[in-house]
Amino acid sequence: MSLKESTQKPKTNKFVNNYLGIILLLLLVAVIWAIFKILAPGNFGSPDKMLSYLQSSLIYAVGGCGLYFICVMGLFDFSIGANVVLSSILACVFAQKFGYAGLILVPIICGTLIGLLNGIVYIKLHIPSMIVTVGLALIYESLSVFATQGQEQILQSANCAFGTYPANLILALCAFFLTALIIKYTKIGTYTYAIGSNEYVAKNMGVSVNKYKVVAFVLCGFFVGVMSILTISYGTSMTAASSLSSMGRNFTPLMGTFFGLAFRKYGKPITAIVIGEFIISMIFNGFVAIGAPSTVQNVVTGAALLLIVMVTTKPVKGIVVK
Amino acid sequence: MEEVILRAENVNKSFGITHAVKDVTLPFNKGEIRGLIGENGSGKSTLMSMLLGIYSIDSGKFILDGKELNVNNQVEANRNGVSIIVQEMGTLSGLTVAENIFLGNEDRFVKFGIKNTTAMNREAQALLDKYGFNRIDATMMIDNYDFEDRKLIEIVKATYFDPKVLVIDETTTALSQSGRDELYKHMNRIRDEGNTVIFISHDLAEVIKYTNSISVLRDGVLIDTVQSSDVTEDDLKKLMVGRVLDDRYYRTDYGEAVSDDVVLSVKNVSVPGEIKNMSFELHKGEILGIGGLSECGMHEVGKAVFGASYDRTGEVTLADGTPINSITTAIKHSIAYASKDRDNESLVINDSISDNICLPSMDSLRVNNILLNKHLNEFANKYAKLISVKMVDVNQFVSDLSGGNKQKVVLARWIGKNSDIVVLDSPTRGIDVKVKADIYALMSEMKKQGKSIIVISEEIMELLGMCDRILVMKDGALSGEFMRSPTLTEEDFIAKMV
Amino acid sequence: MTELQNIEIPTTENKSFGAKYREFMDKPVTRGVLPVVGLLIIIALFAILTGGKIIQPFNISLLLSQTYMLMIAATGVFLIMTMGCLDFSQGSMLAIASIVICYLSTYSLPLAILGGMVTGGAIGAINGFFLVKRKMPSFIVTICTMFLFRGLCAYLTTNSPVYAIGDINKYNTMTIELTLTAIVLLLVYLLFHFTKLGSNLKAIGAGETGARFAGIKVEKTKLLVYIAAGMITGFAAFINVIKVGSVTSTSGNMMETQILIALVLGGLPISGGAKVRFTNVIVGVLTYKILSTGLVMMGFTTQMQQLIEGVIFLIVVAIFSDRKSIQVIK
Repeated sequence: MSLKESTQKPKTNKFVNNYLGIILLLLLVAVIWAIFKILAPGNFGSPDKMLSYLQSSLIYAVGGCGLYFICVMGLFDFSIGANVVLSSILACVFAQKFGYAGLILVPIICGTLIGLLNGIVYIKLHIPSMIVTVGLALIYESLSVFATQGQEQILQSANCAFGTYPANLILALCAFFLTALIIKYTKIGTYTYAIGSNEYVAKNMGVSVNKYKVVAFVLCGFFVGVMSILTISYGTSMTAASSLSSMGRNFTPLMGTFFGLAFRKYGKPITAIVIGEFIISMIFNGFVAIGAPSTVQNVVTGAALLLIVMVTTKPVKGIVVK
Repeated sequence: MEEVILRAENVNKSFGITHAVKDVTLPFNKGEIRGLIGENGSGKSTLMSMLLGIYSIDSGKFILDGKELNVNNQVEANRNGVSIIVQEMGTLSGLTVAENIFLGNEDRFVKFGIKNTTAMNREAQALLDKYGFNRIDATMMIDNYDFEDRKLIEIVKATYFDPKVLVIDETTTALSQSGRDELYKHMNRIRDEGNTVIFISHDLAEVIKYTNSISVLRDGVLIDTVQSSDVTEDDLKKLMVGRVLDDRYYRTDYGEAVSDDVVLSVKNVSVPGEIKNMSFELHKGEILGIGGLSECGMHEVGKAVFGASYDRTGEVTLADGTPINSITTAIKHSIAYASKDRDNESLVINDSISDNICLPSMDSLRVNNILLNKHLNEFANKYAKLISVKMVDVNQFVSDLSGGNKQKVVLARWIGKNSDIVVLDSPTRGIDVKVKADIYALMSEMKKQGKSIIVISEEIMELLGMCDRILVMKDGALSGEFMRSPTLTEEDFIAKMV
Repeated sequence: MTELQNIEIPTTENKSFGAKYREFMDKPVTRGVLPVVGLLIIIALFAILTGGKIIQPFNISLLLSQTYMLMIAATGVFLIMTMGCLDFSQGSMLAIASIVICYLSTYSLPLAILGGMVTGGAIGAINGFFLVKRKMPSFIVTICTMFLFRGLCAYLTTNSPVYAIGDINKYNTMTIELTLTAIVLLLVYLLFHFTKLGSNLKAIGAGETGARFAGIKVEKTKLLVYIAAGMITGFAAFINVIKVGSVTSTSGNMMETQILIALVLGGLPISGGAKVRFTNVIVGVLTYKILSTGLVMMGFTTQMQQLIEGVIFLIVVAIFSDRKSIQVIK
């Protein structure tokens, strides 16, 4: 091949690279805000409303962080919805007896165990992760019905501190910080990216692929457990799910994850997930503000994820996509 | 100083029916650069893969510094002091330069589960600086660097821990001159420090110049180890091939005129990064060869002729003016293609022999617009038997067959389709001698029937032996043309290739 | 390495249990016979467990009457899955198509059927577009469209269910429904076995790149198959409307999962490819229906049924998965 010039990478590029992604996202926030503000000036966009949009987006962002580990590797986890349902229900049950200790510990343990089970079943059965997790979601849903005997579980207001500021913000920030720490400062982060880049080569380089895939599922389950704390505290009640109705809960966190994946090259995936969820929260609330019926919510969700994935993935010629 | 550092002892490896490495016993000395050469399929890469733990050893062992080597992956091999620089991409996208350098060995930066990224980056940068690559920033994503820089980073990754044995597997072909000079510099340094380099390359001149001794493998067997200062390229070639042009093997005719009728015309074809403004014509009944170094763009030419190239500019047209721009058009107009990537492109290996042979001919196999399995199987059987595919029956899956038989299935497919223009890319790669002879006989037969063949190959002897005319490519463009002649030699060819 | 990345095949005589098991499963006979054996076992099992109730003529005809819709829709999904793709939007597709059928039934029945098929085909075209043109994985695309159209269905049935013409029930006879189902099954079977459609789809599923180099128009085929599957489901929606007479916001809920479980029970490898057989559809749907009806008859709660179905699903997918052709599983 012909002689190549040595590639000069000036240091100034790095700064712009780092923050370009964030700038783009913030721009998007402003644009979306402007659109809905014009369409529904009275109902949308005031400061206190924005704070409430932020609240709900934090919840999904935590889930999005967990899913990030999975999606970077090219895997999928469709059981997180069922995970949230089951963990939230158990949180209610144990909070009644043990107060905050139960509220915090139980969903985290439950979520993590579900993640562990997902990982182990996936590795042992040798079938695609999306199929495995759909099957397991059915199982977790049925467990949730068993746990509640069909009755709605309510979290007493005395235990709802994580449903409002500042507790929910603090918990969410802890989760984000932890995710960023794991990605940047542990082997888990490096190996997760390595496996996502080229599993075969990574294995040759001594990365224990199966082990780290299970780790990713465990981490995902853990963060979904944290998300459950926030979910139940915010919503104060939870009913068991069946017939894959929990699938709906998979979408919003997944959207945030895709933001994170798309903006990964700018170096700040977690920030992208959070801002991404905020944008989505604004869009949902925007539709409500302009008077769209609640059923339209699902249409918007489906269309939004479709759009986000379309925009964030580039079609490469000749590649095999199933 | 003739101390042995590494010794392969009775090493064997088979892939299904193919016995790739046959009872190889080979010592390597400390403080030397040993060349390891052989044709494609000679077993040299397989042997090295076993050394590095990438493949498991069927029988035999490697003894490093007196102890048996027992490794399951590259990182374990590295820890034992053996390392490799591969031909393809050996670094992972999505990770930083520092992460790539230390992949698998992060533990010394990890305390209580936390990785000291700053320290890791610092040490990586120090290494890069020591090697003279200070323009590479250890904290940047490796995707920011081009293939050649990534290879340089691979050099750091493979040698920073002063390995006892470094394998360089056909790395030089993809590098520019300055990249190669860097590599030679480090090879010499490692040798001077008392360690060993095993240098694999197809460029015999390069091998003679930069090595102390050379081991030759042929068909999985060690032929000999010679001193580099004592041999010429011809000597090496004789060892590699084992015989001078065996005329039972290739065509024996010379001087037969080729028709002037043009069946295919390629004009100003370019594919970004692969081919630069290539033009040539194919005549009826001609066997046209295209050769060069593996990255010269010739493989892409084959795809372009078959309508399988993306981003192709220029024209590929048949004699009647029909432009060929898609695979379906190509097949419809009687063009056939056997790809270098046999398993993924030439065949659908997880499917039956019957399906594979019948697929392009489906339309013509209909009886009253119905396709019956009976007819499909008959068709497949006919052509599979014609070229003696060794199989249980046509319903067997292609994945069960050996390399040679897989290639026969590919040829059966296109003979069944009765294609007039046949593009064969690396048709005898990784195939044993007997099947090779069968394939050459087939090519001669097809030529007699008036078919036109394009042979793209990295094996110069094959092109010299089988083709009426040979085009040589270099850096994506045509660099030479030879007519078939008994006096044509490899040297003439190589002169145009490099 | 410069040479092909060879797949290591064990050559020694004493193979591990895992290897022997895989060899057994790779025999074509196994994949054809095992699901049928499974079906017979299930019938026998539930005959015993329900004290003979399940094989009573009344129950059999009831069971069959609930199977037609699933059977028809499953043939379309079978074609999709043979290529190695997925479709999670079938249930929502059925719902929307049913709404169109209900609406048009007040004008004319043939028009209604046509409308349903066109609607299904349109949704299939949307799925196919995103898969083929934008190269987005089919499961993501179809999960999104599933959700989207579920929302649309909920919106259209907000105030009340959508009703078909009052006397639509007169078509709800076994003769009509069985005939229609048989016609669809026969049609798809003939197309799959006696035209190049079957070989093409199997080749795409077994090795898409190789299929392309063999002259198959992969993109066009994928798009057409998704449209065809949509139209088939649109037709299944007709059966649905005949039986139920109306559409609510939960119509067709979980149908895609039921189809998936059914096909897997029928022995379909999850990644499609050359080892699929048309009998996977028939055997699978029957097995699934008997399983779920049997569980109901045995008095299990719905959550217990779901639990059992989930466990069986995972086990059977693992058994029938075509390991040899999947190198890296994601």
